[in-house]
Amino acid sequence: MSSVAGTVALFGGLKLRLLAGNLRGDLARKLGFAFTLVMAVGLALLGFFLMSLVRLAPADVAADIVVVVFTVFLVSWMIVPLLAFGLDDTLDPSRLSLFPLSMGTLAVGMFTASATGVWPLVTLIVTAGALAGLAAGVGGVLLGILAVLLQFALCLVASRLVTTSLSSALRTRRGRDVLAVAALGAVLVFQLPNLLVNSDVGDPLALLHGAASVLRWTPSGLAAHAIADGGLVGLAELVVLALVVVAVAWLWIKALGRALVTPDVSTQGGTVGKGSGLVDRFLPDGPLAAVVTKELKYIRREPRYRVVWFSSVVVTALLAFSIGNQGDGPSGPGTPIALTAMAGLMIALQLGNAFGIDGRSLWMNAVAIGSERGLSIDLAGRHLANALVAAPLLLAVAVAAGLFTGSPEAIVWALCAGLGTLGVGFGIGSVTSVVIPYTVPERLNAFTGAAPGQGGQAVASSMGALLGIVLLSAPFVVAAVFGALWVCAFAPFYGLLAEVLGRRLGAKIGFARLPEVLAAVSKPT
Amino acid sequence: MTDAVRTTALTKRFGAQVAVAGVDLIVPAGSFAGLVGPNGAGKTTTLSMITGLLRPDGGQAEIDGLPVWRDTLEVKARIGVLPEGLRLFERLSGRELLIYNGRLRAIPKDEVERRATELLQVMDLAEAADKLVVDYSTGMRKKIGLAAALLHNPSVLFLDEPFEGVDPVSAQTLTEVLRRYTASGSTVIFSSHVMDLVERLCDWVSVMSRGQIVAQGPLAEVRAGRSLNQAFLDLVGRSPEQGDTGLTWLGSGEQR
Repeated sequence: MSSVAGTVALFGGLKLRLLAGNLRGDLARKLGFAFTLVMAVGLALLGFFLMSLVRLAPADVAADIVVVVFTVFLVSWMIVPLLAFGLDDTLDPSRLSLFPLSMGTLAVGMFTASATGVWPLVTLIVTAGALAGLAAGVGGVLLGILAVLLQFALCLVASRLVTTSLSSALRTRRGRDVLAVAALGAVLVFQLPNLLVNSDVGDPLALLHGAASVLRWTPSGLAAHAIADGGLVGLAELVVLALVVVAVAWLWIKALGRALVTPDVSTQGGTVGKGSGLVDRFLPDGPLAAVVTKELKYIRREPRYRVVWFSSVVVTALLAFSIGNQGDGPSGPGTPIALTAMAGLMIALQLGNAFGIDGRSLWMNAVAIGSERGLSIDLAGRHLANALVAAPLLLAVAVAAGLFTGSPEAIVWALCAGLGTLGVGFGIGSVTSVVIPYTVPERLNAFTGAAPGQGGQAVASSMGALLGIVLLSAPFVVAAVFGALWVCAFAPFYGLLAEVLGRRLGAKIGFARLPEVLAAVSKPT
Repeated sequence: MTDAVRTTALTKRFGAQVAVAGVDLIVPAGSFAGLVGPNGAGKTTTLSMITGLLRPDGGQAEIDGLPVWRDTLEVKARIGVLPEGLRLFERLSGRELLIYNGRLRAIPKDEVERRATELLQVMDLAEAADKLVVDYSTGMRKKIGLAAALLHNPSVLFLDEPFEGVDPVSAQTLTEVLRRYTASGSTVIFSSHVMDLVERLCDWVSVMSRGQIVAQGPLAEVRAGRSLNQAFLDLVGRSPEQGDTGLTWLGSGEQR
């Protein structure tokens, strides 16, 4: 039918134009896109190559691997766009609701739009790698081609079904808040296999086989198995798979129809208490107390802060877990010290882009800050608020690590080392915050921490901060790990010195380029 | 009488596009001034440069005779700003936002709390004072933004599109507060493209088009006997026959 072809061409073109429009006039975005392209091509080639290598494995292992890989693709397609919602205008059906499009046209169009792009292509190529890796004989290849296409279609419609049915909830504030934190859960899920493999839970082959024997009956598992089978059973499996695709597509069209006419769920705003808290009792009245109070409230209320704090804690716990697994039993006072120092680093890294979360609201500080000293106080407030939350956490890490490794005498030293790296991190972060500022998107997703086009800045900033903190903390951490525990006694003072000097430098640089910092953190996301 | 705001040859370009091409804006102290112009005329860019939020490529800006980009401390203490786009600290309540703002400017806490309560009362926000700003409506955001800009009693107030998207009741509240504020000798400069409003409120008008000031002076002078709307259309230079050509298919409701 020509109208279907027309719709496909129209929406495919629209998507390409949106992609191109995003790149216009901005060098950073062009570079970012070039980087994405290089990565995508690399991943596609590597993925295809790895999938074809599966052929070298024994037949049953090969089939198991493809079953698991296909299922991972399907699940990723369902989760990833959800977390990255808002990066792609064609994904939001509400933008199209005013056009006189029939539901079928809309469905074909949105399907085309979601199939057009770099990542769908990569998926298709890597999925096709299973043909090279698994298919045997003419039947296997023929069924394989069908299976690959069906698996690809299933990934797309399943991902569309999930985003569409949740789209009205996702447009509300609360829905987005929940999702922001849910993004972390996804990261954990992705980390889980890694952990399991690291901790030698059992024979990886048996593990693979166990997983595959269950996943084999999922739609994506059917696709993988059909390629390996290449006979009548495979054909039957493909029929089932095709029916699943059609059913999911039908559900998606229904959800689309509903999403277009259902208004956003309204959010009832709750009220917050009026208490000004402990801060005012201990700090002199003034800008410093104002910033500390505000930052503490933000740490509590802003989902992006909850996410970064939660991830700092989780990453530290993961590190502790893997360090604990590697050694053979308790390994002396070095471990708690290194671990607490690491925790201090993880927490301090949050302030490597101190103004990023304030983002577009930062003008309010910018019109009030009239001197280097003002900016320095602003930074000090952020550091103090962060430290108020960090100190008890570091204490907990130090105590837990000290007891766990059977060296309670190291607890005090570990805490000192943690505070030291925290201070060093604040100092370094003050400088990176004003030299390489970038916007933290409203909707934090698990894959980029920066506004479109600022991915490079984000990487440069966090790498720079990480490197700086490691270098400047190395003296006391290395000395302590090699036995000179007493060095840690100086760590907090060393950290404080680094914080003061770094903050001074940051304020000096930052005040001179306040408008530029403001512009960098106010990018549209 | 000194000028509250005076810029000379203020310029800003974004890439190849010149947003502001040498603006000489003058606003006498104590006036209620309107900065009008079509979309994209450079109003927001100009205001951002005068308030120290955007670095100009060239030219000078002075507030109460003080150069904005050199006497930063002094200038920032004197101005209040409500930028476009309602960008506020979303996760504070209205009251917390005002208190934060005041204390950031080193006003004692008790005094800030007193002023915040009064402002919330006047702005008709007392009931929503302890709700988070993220849940505020457009009108409420404009009002809390204006309250935040007024809190430290600035001598010059810059408002970018303060009435856009505001319901008539809130708009009335806003204008009452602003009238009272200028009556005491302070200066308000606001950008708008609603000519009726500017005509009703302002005693001084600056008209911008394509990055330049094309007319400015007391309202009556700029109007020169016409309605402000007509004067604006004449100044911005849209020839009447432009509207007559093309669009022959429009109207009568025939579907192709």
